[in-house]
Amino acid sequence: MFAAALAAVLLAAVPLTAHHEILAKFDDHKPVTLNGVVTLVDWRNPHVHVFMNVANANGSVNWAIEAESPIDLQRNGWSRETLRPGDKIRVEGIAARNGSHQAWGNSIVIRATGRSVFTVSTAAPPLPLAARSTPRWPDRQPRLGAAAQGGAQGYWAYPSNTALADTGSPGSPAGSIAMDTWGLLRNLADAPKVAPMQPWAQALYIARQRRFLQDDPMFLNCKPPGGPRQFQLAYGVQFVEDRDRKRIFVLIGSGNNNFRIINTDGRGHTGQVGGDDENPLYYGRSVGKWEGDTLVVDTRGFNEDFWFTNGGLPHTDQLSLIERFSRPDFDTLKYDVTIEDAGAYTRPWSSSSTLRWVAGEEMPRHLCQDNRS
Amino acid sequence: MRALTLVLALSVACLAAATPAAAQEGHPLKGSWIGTWAGNHNQGNDLLLVLNWDGKNITGTINPGTDNIPIKNATLNPEGWVVRFEADAKDKAGKAITYVIEGKIGNLPLPNRTLTGTWKNQEEGGALKLSRQ
Repeated sequence: MFAAALAAVLLAAVPLTAHHEILAKFDDHKPVTLNGVVTLVDWRNPHVHVFMNVANANGSVNWAIEAESPIDLQRNGWSRETLRPGDKIRVEGIAARNGSHQAWGNSIVIRATGRSVFTVSTAAPPLPLAARSTPRWPDRQPRLGAAAQGGAQGYWAYPSNTALADTGSPGSPAGSIAMDTWGLLRNLADAPKVAPMQPWAQALYIARQRRFLQDDPMFLNCKPPGGPRQFQLAYGVQFVEDRDRKRIFVLIGSGNNNFRIINTDGRGHTGQVGGDDENPLYYGRSVGKWEGDTLVVDTRGFNEDFWFTNGGLPHTDQLSLIERFSRPDFDTLKYDVTIEDAGAYTRPWSSSSTLRWVAGEEMPRHLCQDNRS
Repeated sequence: MRALTLVLALSVACLAAATPAAAQEGHPLKGSWIGTWAGNHNQGNDLLLVLNWDGKNITGTINPGTDNIPIKNATLNPEGWVVRFEADAKDKAGKAITYVIEGKIGNLPLPNRTLTGTWKNQEEGGALKLSRQ
């Protein structure tokens, strides 16, 4: 009991982070193998925790094993009943950087049956054998959202790139940069290749990388994933096209289920209620227009209170984006973005990615604030 | 003037205590800083500093509303996060003095990062301690 309480205290002492860079909290150079007995399964956002007693020279010690989120575990067929107190399990994982009895569980196996549990697939669903054509409105404009009103659900997820890098400039070396899902560089020496940063911005980017992105305000303080980051996250986005009012809502599956509005009624950037130079915003002010089959969106008026991409590239309130959305086929959303920020970068630069249509599902409802009670 | 600065400093301090430091993920110097420049007999110990970054230059004001001293020649060396700037003011006798402030940013990733170092002018000098609000 004492050990369990101690582990709970240790867990509470660490800032709990929603769906975060695992290496911010755990050290992949500290592998652990634990054999023990489940004492509790804490099934809640942002991560499920399995508590287990592990025998040691003094009796036993309680470990907290961190697993994926309830959303991801449920999608892969697991439930809060998968593991029960008393189950004997074997865990292979990596230990916490702070030396506490916490580990990220790479593998959890029920010893009695040899069954591996809480496994999660991150692979995109297979594409249809034949490419499906772009869904269109009666006036032939591409639909960015569901193909029909009612019934046909779906959203965009499985981004091809989950962190920005300058891949669009002539001669850009960014294509060879190795980084993980959260934009953590495999080799810090690649930092100058990521984007044309001013010296202070590059130094700040490197400082964030050196700390394994553990200062990410999206996880520490539930700050919204403004800018291109909204298209880099696991729970995707949904477009709701309000053609009557000439605006498009972008519903964001991660963060706090925020939304962003792209106005397509021809208005300019100034004089909008809720967003002007005196009131910069997390998602900025977006005005869009269709150029052929591409929605071109000009977004400005960002504040400086968030990270606009995984990986921690800095920005200032001079940030402006030109985003180009197109749907070359039913299952693909192409996202090209040009970044201009004279406060942090030496020149405009650009990056591209694609997202996959996830048919027949509603977008997951993940609320970062669930963990902030 | 010193009393006014003190009142302003206390007001800001109370406000800061009542609300968490606002996140600021952009240029590390941008924002409002509050603290002390110890032993300053001309402007008083309490120091307010408002800094801005336009993409090329760091600008700012010392003790806005009371002393209103604009800073000049401000630099930030990201290697070590070393800050230096100057400011022209007058001492109590009306004689021109130039402040030279040198410091280093601490707690860089945090909203309430710090700036510690030294200040000096032709007449005196001392320790500088500021934290971003």
